[in-house]
Amino acid sequence: MRVFVKIAIVLGVVTLVASCQNTSSRNYQYMPNMYESVGYETYQETSAFRNGKEGQLPVEGTIARGHMPYEYPNTLDGYNLAKANLQNPLPFDAYRNADSTVTEDYLKKGEDLFDIYCAVCHGTKGNGKGILVDREKILGVPSYDDAGRAITEGSVYHVIRYGLNAMGSYANQLNEEERWQVTEYVMTLKHDLENK
Amino acid sequence: MASHYEAPIREPLVTGEKSYHDVTVDVAAPVEGRANKQWWIVFSIALVAFLWGLGCIIYTVSTGIGVWGLNKTVGWAWDITNFVWWVGIGHAGTLISAVLLLFRQKWRMAVNRSAEAMTIFSVVQAGLFPIIHMGRPWLAYWVLPIPNQFGSLWVNFNSPLLWDVFAISTYLSVSLVFWWTGLLPDFAMLRDRAVKPFQKKIYSLLSFGWSGRAKDWQRFEEVSLVLAGLATPLVLSVHTIVSFDFATSVIPGWHSTIYPPYFVAGAIFSGFAMVLTLLIIMRKVSNLEAYITRGHIEYMNKVILLTGGIVSVAYITEFFIAWYSGSNYEDYTYLSIGAATGPYWWAFWALIICNFIVPQTLWIKKLRRNYMWSFIVSIVINIGMWFERFDIIVINLSKGHLPSSWTMFSPTFVDVGIFLGTIGFFFVLFLLYARTFPVIAQAEVKTILKSSGERYKRLREDGNSLVGTGADSRTSDIVGTTKENLDQDTKNNS
Repeated sequence: MRVFVKIAIVLGVVTLVASCQNTSSRNYQYMPNMYESVGYETYQETSAFRNGKEGQLPVEGTIARGHMPYEYPNTLDGYNLAKANLQNPLPFDAYRNADSTVTEDYLKKGEDLFDIYCAVCHGTKGNGKGILVDREKILGVPSYDDAGRAITEGSVYHVIRYGLNAMGSYANQLNEEERWQVTEYVMTLKHDLENK
Repeated sequence: MASHYEAPIREPLVTGEKSYHDVTVDVAAPVEGRANKQWWIVFSIALVAFLWGLGCIIYTVSTGIGVWGLNKTVGWAWDITNFVWWVGIGHAGTLISAVLLLFRQKWRMAVNRSAEAMTIFSVVQAGLFPIIHMGRPWLAYWVLPIPNQFGSLWVNFNSPLLWDVFAISTYLSVSLVFWWTGLLPDFAMLRDRAVKPFQKKIYSLLSFGWSGRAKDWQRFEEVSLVLAGLATPLVLSVHTIVSFDFATSVIPGWHSTIYPPYFVAGAIFSGFAMVLTLLIIMRKVSNLEAYITRGHIEYMNKVILLTGGIVSVAYITEFFIAWYSGSNYEDYTYLSIGAATGPYWWAFWALIICNFIVPQTLWIKKLRRNYMWSFIVSIVINIGMWFERFDIIVINLSKGHLPSSWTMFSPTFVDVGIFLGTIGFFFVLFLLYARTFPVIAQAEVKTILKSSGERYKRLREDGNSLVGTGADSRTSDIVGTTKENLDQDTKNNS
């Protein structure tokens, strides 16, 4: 019997010690030798910079390797110019080469990105009936086959890049290639809507 | 005529007119008496050294291994040197109590208790080094294969350093159990003699209620024999495993198949030297001259001579093979021409003189029966065996395969301080032991008193009966051939 009492005491002490953990704050650590980063980690707070953020803005006008600046300005003129002149730098024609696997992959990626970033407002079919519109959280999302807008490759890309009216820029979420993939997918959606 | 036959050629193992009671009194005297001034002085010195060493250890662990003299080429130096040295010293204790028991060597009985104590205390010192030489000693528990939350991450069982963990911990625990089992009858003796309630309580606890019944003794003997049988391969394997730390490597001078037996021989060599150092002093200060006799010293010197011879043969072998291998890399190993003339020539020659030349003087009977010379030789051997480990580790590391990595090593005060600290700690433990434990296995000595005691040998040689000679007028009323009666007889006859 005595043995059981002793075991119970040991277990009790262990439980008591274990109960010192507070789930609303970090737990105790044993010798945290390499737990905290010595180098700067992305998004960390730091006193090294004046605004306290690790992420500092690059100097205006610098160009990183593998990137090209977007030359159309964020103005109505820029929009019209892009609508008229801007084209996907890839020799890409979704309608003629619809059975090419390269095109299919390209459009598939565009579809996945569209469903993640765009469909919430524009709807998976591009008809302006996304889930937020259904639930009346936002209003006034046009369909891609809106004849008054007559969107083109260039205008879609420009709007993803800068945003327009109630829509914000998606340049932070999507890189240049992804923007073109989404653009091409938007054009197929427009095509499908018009030929219904 | 006595029915017992003991060759007259054998030296008595207990000198003087000792009776059973005398043995008890002599063994109990240091425990029951008070410490004298000299004991306190020596103890204080040892304690100061220990505390200084402790400070050095705390400084090392809290500041980093960089406070030692190690560098990127020589990653092991004093730490592992001292580790191997202390482990080696510990081996004599188990050898005396286990191997000599298997060989039925009666002379071990007067020295085994202290030799085992020395084993325990030096293994404790050795055990410090594997921990404190770690960069992150607080994670030392990771060497144990414990189920854990890292996906049950285990240790690699291929490393001799892990085998060291098992070897040393098993060695310490088995030695401790062996030692303590042997202590039970002696603690019981102290318990039964104690007059102060506190002492009585302590020795009652330590003796585990030993009552000395026939069945107890029968099992006691069986356990001793079994433990001796287990401890013997343990002694050989523990230092073998320690030698694997080096022998399994690819370092020139380390990679050598001779290491396992050679290290074990060296361990017994240095261990016996340490036993001699301690016992030559102990027999004087604890008045145990009648039990640790000149004969005992000679026996131990003979073992030293034997193991020293084995070690010397190993040196010659290593030296020969370094040349015979034709490997250029072997030219700078610790036993090679390169080492003898290189920057560590002094360490090489210290090894040769201390281990190879000086112990050979023990071939001369006069010298090996001389207390003073034995004492000096024992100290010289301990120095030499320290140098042997230092040479093996440091000389071989300092000149490895790449000349661009060749370097020298010099210790810092922290290296030295920790070593001194372990010596201090060892003596703190040993001095405390000498004041509180029965330093001679009196129960065992009493079993050889009548066969190997000087008085009884003489009685037998004179053709007298031993009937009643065990009686002591101080403890019994039996009248027989007691010492007093004999004295009376002698007077009457003359």
